[in-house]
Parts: sequence; structure tokens; C-alpha cells
Amino acid sequence: MYNFLLYIDPGNGSYLVQAIIAAVLGVSFYFKSILFRIKSFFSRGKKQDEIKDDVNDPNEN
Amino acid sequence: MTPTRIDPASFKDPAGFVFKQDGLYYRHVQPGYATDYDLMMGSGLYKLLVKKGWLIPHEEVTHLPANGAYKILLPQQLAFTSYAYEWSFDMLQDAALVTLKINETAIRHGMILKDATPYNIQFHQGKPVFIDTLSFEKYDTSKPWIAYRQFCEMFLFPLYLENYLQSGLIRLLSIYPDGIPATETARLLPAKSMWNMGTWMHVHLQKAARHSTAKPRQAAAFNAGKLSRLLEHLVGNVAALPGRQHLPSGWSNYYDETILSKEYLDGKVQVFKNLLSQCLYRTALDLGANDGYFSRILADDAALVIAVDFDATCINRLYETLRAEKAKNLLPLIIDLSNPSPAFGFDNSERPSFINRLAVDLVVALALVHHLCITKHIPFGKLAAFFNRFAPQLIIEFIPDTDPKVQQIMGDRQAIFTWYTQEAFEESFLDYFSISASIPISGSSRTLYLMKRK
Repeated sequence: MYNFLLYIDPGNGSYLVQAIIAAVLGVSFYFKSILFRIKSFFSRGKKQDEIKDDVNDPNEN
Repeated sequence: MTPTRIDPASFKDPAGFVFKQDGLYYRHVQPGYATDYDLMMGSGLYKLLVKKGWLIPHEEVTHLPANGAYKILLPQQLAFTSYAYEWSFDMLQDAALVTLKINETAIRHGMILKDATPYNIQFHQGKPVFIDTLSFEKYDTSKPWIAYRQFCEMFLFPLYLENYLQSGLIRLLSIYPDGIPATETARLLPAKSMWNMGTWMHVHLQKAARHSTAKPRQAAAFNAGKLSRLLEHLVGNVAALPGRQHLPSGWSNYYDETILSKEYLDGKVQVFKNLLSQCLYRTALDLGANDGYFSRILADDAALVIAVDFDATCINRLYETLRAEKAKNLLPLIIDLSNPSPAFGFDNSERPSFINRLAVDLVVALALVHHLCITKHIPFGKLAAFFNRFAPQLIIEFIPDTDPKVQQIMGDRQAIFTWYTQEAFEESFLDYFSISASIPISGSSRTLYLMKRK
């Protein structure tokens, strides 16, 4: 039986980095969700999709 | 039946390999990959990816001896193979995005990409297409993405470097066949990259963590939600890189701002079309394609036109235009003809040289000879022998030293270019080609030749 799972080396620290990045993104996602709720409360006329795009705007670093 | 030839680049992945038989490329699927292969085919993933045009379609064949294979696949054949170090910024960016989108789609079907390299992507009918059918494996939701580091080093870091430094650094992939490590990327990036969240996390943080020996179990538990946020972030980060499309280059406005008259261009098009009508071709190579004006004329009647130029901005602009037009039979590539991509990889056989990959019916070299001869000091004899290697038919322009453009690049070095005459040009090329036609272009002292290989 072959070991397909580790055919490439994931690299030292690669798992750790992904865990940290996921945590950072998780926190920013949490705050963006709050912002999203506030925004949608005040802008009921605006199309939902547009707001969603704003919230997920990857350019906001 | 010719003997089976295993592709020299196909030895890393134990799931299978590519081989060539009777002029066609096949994929041998090893029995150990059977479960993953069946999952990919049975989960609807294959069908969806092919429908979206992201994965090369294949059929399972039984006419060849199995040689221990679980399946033998005949993928749709590619017209030409190009490599990431020949692509422009937008091409690598699109290849990165399609890889991420495929991964997101795979995850929704319970699978994940086990590798992420631009060598798994080819530009096929105008679009980046994933060609490695055996790259998918069952997704374990408790694990991060095993190919994350490879994705960074092979796609993200070259894009960051080119985005920040605008210096043709995608070509670094040719000297880093496994990708540009985070440490090297961090050294090359300017200090301001520390203030960008994307570069900070993927480059600088990864560089800092490279000595960590945290195993998956020790790292914070991962889950599908975290992975989906990471991938979503990568898609946004890659898509938001502006690249170099707005920078002017020495050649990007050649036809707009050139001192050459409209009469010359019209005359050249007329002569060019006349010569084309005397050629038989399905595939063509346009050397020094610039904005692709003549490549497009070629593409009207060709299955594939490869348009190459050494100017990255020209090629990127051409790619953007072709992408917007959804052109299917034009492939722009960054190639310096005085130093075309050599053979790379183990035993110099994983990635063949650009010239050895060529199998075109017609080669076009307009307003090019004087650059190679004068700027690069390449004698006519060497140039003719070079073209002879890959040009069964050749449409080539000669520009005499009385032409203002030639005088401009010659400067005050006329004394060393006394050999640069039209007679010497014809004499050298007649050693390798027969001249079928030579037509002067009105409004200039230039001549277009149609030559056939002897």
C-alpha cells in the first residue's frame, strides 16, 4: 500500500502557520460579522448580496 | 506500435504516471490510487470540474495493455506545453486562482488537492486548465491543507515578488524548481511588505515558523470552516494583486507611437497576407509578437498560434486582451529569443527547452532580425541555422541598415556591422532555406521573405 498522504512535504511550520492564519481570519471574520449585522440593520434597502460582498472584501487588510 | 515512453517529468507522484504511446499521452493510474480515483469520478467532482472547463477531460481506455494499472486514461491532448517561467503575471495569477477554485470545489465533494504547482496547469484553448487528474485525495477535515506551502512557494510568492518589484521575477521559478522559499522571498520583498496582511502572514510569518516542528496534532485543531476561510482569503488576496499591467514598457506602445507610417503598416499587412496565402499551416509561431497584431492575422486560419516576446508587459497586455475576447487559439509567452528557456529539472529532462517543445508549421519573424543581429551580435549564419531547427516555413522581414530604426540601435557602431547587408542575409539563409518569395514593403526599404526549409 502506498503512502499517498505525504507525497509532498508539507514543510516545517506549515501546519502551525495555517492554524495561526485561520485564527487571525476567524477573529477578523467575527468582527466583520458584527459589522455586517450593524450595516444590515441600518441599510435594509440595500441588496443583501452587495453587503455580503462588502463584508468579504479581500482588499480590506 | 511504438515503445511506451514514460514522461521524464512524471516520477514524483506514486498515484500514477504519464506515458506516450503512438504519439498520444496517456495516464497510468496505480491500483493504490483506486479509492481516490473512484471517489473523484463518483462524487460528481470530475464532472463538475470538466463542465466548468477547469480540469482536462479524459476517457478510460482498454485498448492498451494494463501493465498493472488500475485504469489507463486518455486525456484530451494539449497542443503545446508551456511552463510558469514563460508566463506573464496575469497568466500565473489566473493559474493560481483556478487552482484555488478547484480546491474549494474538491473540498465540497469530500476531496482536496494534495499538491499545488503551476506544472499541473496548462493554457489550453485560451484558459488555464488543470491537467493532473491524480492530484485529488480524500479530504480529512481535521487537517490543514498539505499543499499550502507548495502553493505559496510556487504561486503566491512569485506573484508577490513580481507585484512588489516589477522585475520579471516570475522567471525565478526556473531556478527554484520546487518553488521560492519563504526565507528568500522575505529577503527580496521590500520592508513595506511587512505592513500588508497577506505578505505578512504568508511570507514573514511562514519564514518565522520554518523551524517549528509542530505536528498536525500539536497545532491547534483544524476544521473545514478554518480551511474554507483560509482558501477564501487566498482567493481574495491573489485576485487583488494588481500586477504590472499599468506600467509602460519600452515596447508596449510600439505600433501606437512608432515613427513608422500607417502606409508602411498597411503595406506590410498586405504583403504578409499575400505570403500567408502561399503557406500551408495549422500551427504557427510569431516571434517578437509585441501586441499580437500579426499573431491575430495568423490566428484567423490556424489551430494554434504561439505569440512570443521578451517584453513581459507586452505579453501580459496581449494575454489580458485575448482573455477578454475569449480567444482560444492564441498562446502568448515571454521568451527571449537570444536566450530561450533551456531544459530544466532532473537530468535536464523534466522540462524540455522551448525550442525542443516546438513543432509548428510556420514561423513568423517580423522586425526581429536586426535586433538579434545588431543588439545581440548574432551573425546571419547562426540565425539561419537556429531558424532551420524549428521552422519548416518561415516568413521573415529584413530591415536594411539605412532604415532609421536600425540606425537608432546601431548608433555609432556602424564600423563593426559592415557584414549586415541584404545580400549576406540572403546568402546565409539560402544555406538552409529556399526563398519562395521576397516582396518589398511600400513606404519603407524593408523586405518580407517567404522561405521553405531545405
